[in-house]
Amino acid sequence: MTEANPVVLVVDDEVQIRRFLRAGLELDGFAVQDAETGGDALRWATLKPPDLVILDLGLPDMDGAEVLERLRAWSSVPLIVLSVRSNEAEKVRLLEIGADDYVVKPFGMAELLARAHAAMRRHVRVSTGEPVVKVGPLSIDLAARIVSINGARVMLTPKEYRLLQLLAQHAGNVVTHQFLLKEVWGSPHLHDTHYLRIFVRKLRQKIEVDPTQPRILLTELGVGYRLVVPEAATAVAS
Amino acid sequence: MEAVRRELRGSALALVLVAATTLVAYVLIQSFDVRRGSVIYLLPVLLAGWHLGLVPALVAAVAGVLWSGYFFFSPYYSFYLARPNEILNLLLFMVVAVVTSHLANSMKKHTEVARKSEKDMGDLYAFSRRLAAASSAADIYLAIEEHLASLVQRKVVLFGAVADSDRTIKPEQEGLSQRVHSAIAEIRAGRTLATTVDDGAGDIWLVRRVSQKNADFGVIAIDLGSVPPWAVEEVRHRVDDVLSDAAATLERLDVARALNDAKMRSETELLREALIGSVSHELRTPLASILGAATVLSKSPVIAKDERLNALAGVVRDEAERLNNDIQNLLDATRISREQIRPRQEWIEPQDIVNSALERRRRRLSSHSVSLDMDSNLPLIFVDAVLVEQAFVQIVDNAAKYSPAGSPIVIAAKRNGRDVVLSVQDQGVGLTAEENAQLGERFFRGARHAATTSGSGLGLWIAKAFVSANGGKIQAVSPGADHGAAVSILLPFATPESQPEVGPDD
Repeated sequence: MTEANPVVLVVDDEVQIRRFLRAGLELDGFAVQDAETGGDALRWATLKPPDLVILDLGLPDMDGAEVLERLRAWSSVPLIVLSVRSNEAEKVRLLEIGADDYVVKPFGMAELLARAHAAMRRHVRVSTGEPVVKVGPLSIDLAARIVSINGARVMLTPKEYRLLQLLAQHAGNVVTHQFLLKEVWGSPHLHDTHYLRIFVRKLRQKIEVDPTQPRILLTELGVGYRLVVPEAATAVAS
Repeated sequence: MEAVRRELRGSALALVLVAATTLVAYVLIQSFDVRRGSVIYLLPVLLAGWHLGLVPALVAAVAGVLWSGYFFFSPYYSFYLARPNEILNLLLFMVVAVVTSHLANSMKKHTEVARKSEKDMGDLYAFSRRLAAASSAADIYLAIEEHLASLVQRKVVLFGAVADSDRTIKPEQEGLSQRVHSAIAEIRAGRTLATTVDDGAGDIWLVRRVSQKNADFGVIAIDLGSVPPWAVEEVRHRVDDVLSDAAATLERLDVARALNDAKMRSETELLREALIGSVSHELRTPLASILGAATVLSKSPVIAKDERLNALAGVVRDEAERLNNDIQNLLDATRISREQIRPRQEWIEPQDIVNSALERRRRRLSSHSVSLDMDSNLPLIFVDAVLVEQAFVQIVDNAAKYSPAGSPIVIAAKRNGRDVVLSVQDQGVGLTAEENAQLGERFFRGARHAATTSGSGLGLWIAKAFVSANGGKIQAVSPGADHGAAVSILLPFATPESQPEVGPDD
C-alpha cells in the first residue's frame, strides 16, 4: 500500500470479521488499520487520523456509541456503524450522534463499500464546496438550486426542494425522519412523519419514473430516506 | 335443637298425611262400604318413612293404627275394640307399619348415599382429568379452588402455601378485604392453623391450611356468608370435615407431584427459549463472517474471472443468508412467545413496505416472474413498518418456496373498504381447505410438502403475530391444491389528525 491510499480504521473485536473486512477493503484500495477495543480505536484515530472509520457496536471495553461520541468531539471523519437487525431505534440514535450510515449484520462487502464511499464523497464535497450532486439520471445543483433529470429541468416547490437538498447533501447515505422534519418543518413537527410521507410522495411523482416503485429516493423503514447512488459510481481509487 | 325441630316438623307433616288418608278412607267407606281397607294406613307410613325420616314414620304408624281401629274394626266409628282377635290384628298392623317405615327410611338413605357417591365419583373423575391436563401450577390451583368450592358450596379462594408461590393475588383482584389477607399471612407464617375472620362487610371467612402429612396444598379462604356468631363453630366443623376429606383426596391424586411437574414444564420452556435466544446470537457472528467473506471472495480478481468459483462464492453467500433468516425466525418466535412485541407505530406509505420487502428478497425472487400491481394513491397506514415488512417477507418467501421456478408471482397493494391490502398471489401448490384452516398455526407444515420442501412452520405464525400486533390480519385464499394461493395482509387505515399546511410557497 502506498501513502496515497485512503486509510480506514476498522474497529471490531471479532477477529474473523476484521479479517474479511481487511481483505475486502484492501481489495478496494484502502489501507487498513485494525482496532480491537474502543480504547485502541480512539488512540489510533488521534495517532494516525483515518479517512474512514468502520465501527462495530459490541466492543469489550466500551459501548460503540461512546466511541462515536468521543470521536465526534473533535473529528468529522466519515464513519459507518455495523449494527444488528431489528433495532431501528438504536440506528436512529447512532445517526443522530454523528454516524454517517450503518450496515446491518450480516452484510455484503458491496453494501458496506457503497455506504462508505458515499460518506467519503460527502466529506470531500463539504471541504471542496463542489456544488453539483449527481444521483443516476438526477442532477442537483446546490449552488444554483436547479434540479434536472437527464438535463431536463424539474420544477419543485420550496419545501420539496429543501427535502431533496438535504437528501442530496447526504447522497448515498441514510437521512433520519427526525433530521428531515426538524430541518424542513421545525422542531414542533419532529414526530409528524406523515408530513414527510406526503411530501416524499409528491417529490417521487416528479423525479421517479414510477413513483410506486422508486429507484432514486428509497425508504429505510423505521429510520429515514436515502438517495441511492448507482454502484458504478462508487469506486474510490479511480 | 335443629334436629328436634326437624323431627317435630316431620311428625306434624306425617299427621297431615294420616289425616288425608283418613279422609280418603271415610269417602271409600261411605261410597262402597269397604270393610277390609285397613292396609290403606300403610300408605302414610311409607311416605313418611321415605321423605320425612324414622320418627315421623313411627308417628304415622301409631296414628294409622288408631284410625284403622276407628274405621275398619268393629265396633265401627269407635276407638274401642270388641274382639280380642281384632286387637291381635291391630297389633300385627302396628308391627308391619313399624317395619315398613323402617325399611322405607333406610332404603331412602341408601339411595341417597348411592346417588351422592356417584356424583362425587363423577366430580372426582373430572377433577383428576383436569389435574392431568393442567399445564401450569396456576391451572392446578384454579382446579383445586373450584373443586373445593363445589364441595363446600361457598366462594373459595386458594393461595399458594408460601407468599411467593405461583399464585400471589393482589387484594383488589379477588376483592378480598385486608383482614382476610392478614389472616392468610398469619396462616402462611405458621402462627395458627385455622382461623375465622369477619371481613368487615358482614361475611365470616374461614381461613385455614389445606394439608396432609406429606403435602401442603396451600391456604384456603372460604366465605361462610353471614353466619350468626353462635352458628360459626357448627358451620366451621362441617367445612372442616369436607376439607380434610378433600385434602386426603388431593394427596391420593398426587396433586403435589402434578404441581411440581407443571412448574418444571414452565421452567423448561423458559430455559429452552433462553437457549434459543443465546444460541441464535452466537450463531450470527460467525454467519456475518461467512457471508462477508463470501462477498469479498466473489470480488477478488482470481475468483471473479472463474465462473464456477464465482458461483460457489454465491452459494456460500445465499446459504448463509438463508441460515440467517432461519435464525431471525427463531429469534422472532421467542420474542413472540415471551410477548415482547412492542410495535413502534408511525405513518407509512404501504408501497414503501412492499418495496422494502421485495428489495430484501430480490435475489430469492429472481427465479420467478414477479409483477407488481400497486395503487398510486393509497392512504397512509399507522403501523410498525418494520414488523409489517417482516410479515410480508414471510409471505413472499412462502410464495417463492411453494411455487415452481419461472412461474408468475403477482404482488399487489390495494385499498379495499377500510383496509389497505398487501397481497402475494402465486401459481404454486395452493392450499386445501384443511390446510388453509391450519395455516398460521405454530409449527404447522402442509403434509403434502413436508418431505420435499424444508421449513420450520414458523414463518406464517410469526407473520400473523406481527400483523395482529399492528391491528391487522392475514387472509389466505386458494382455489384448492395445486391451484396457487393468494395470501394478504389486511391493515386498517385511519386519517392523520393533522395535515401539513401547504401554502403557495411550499
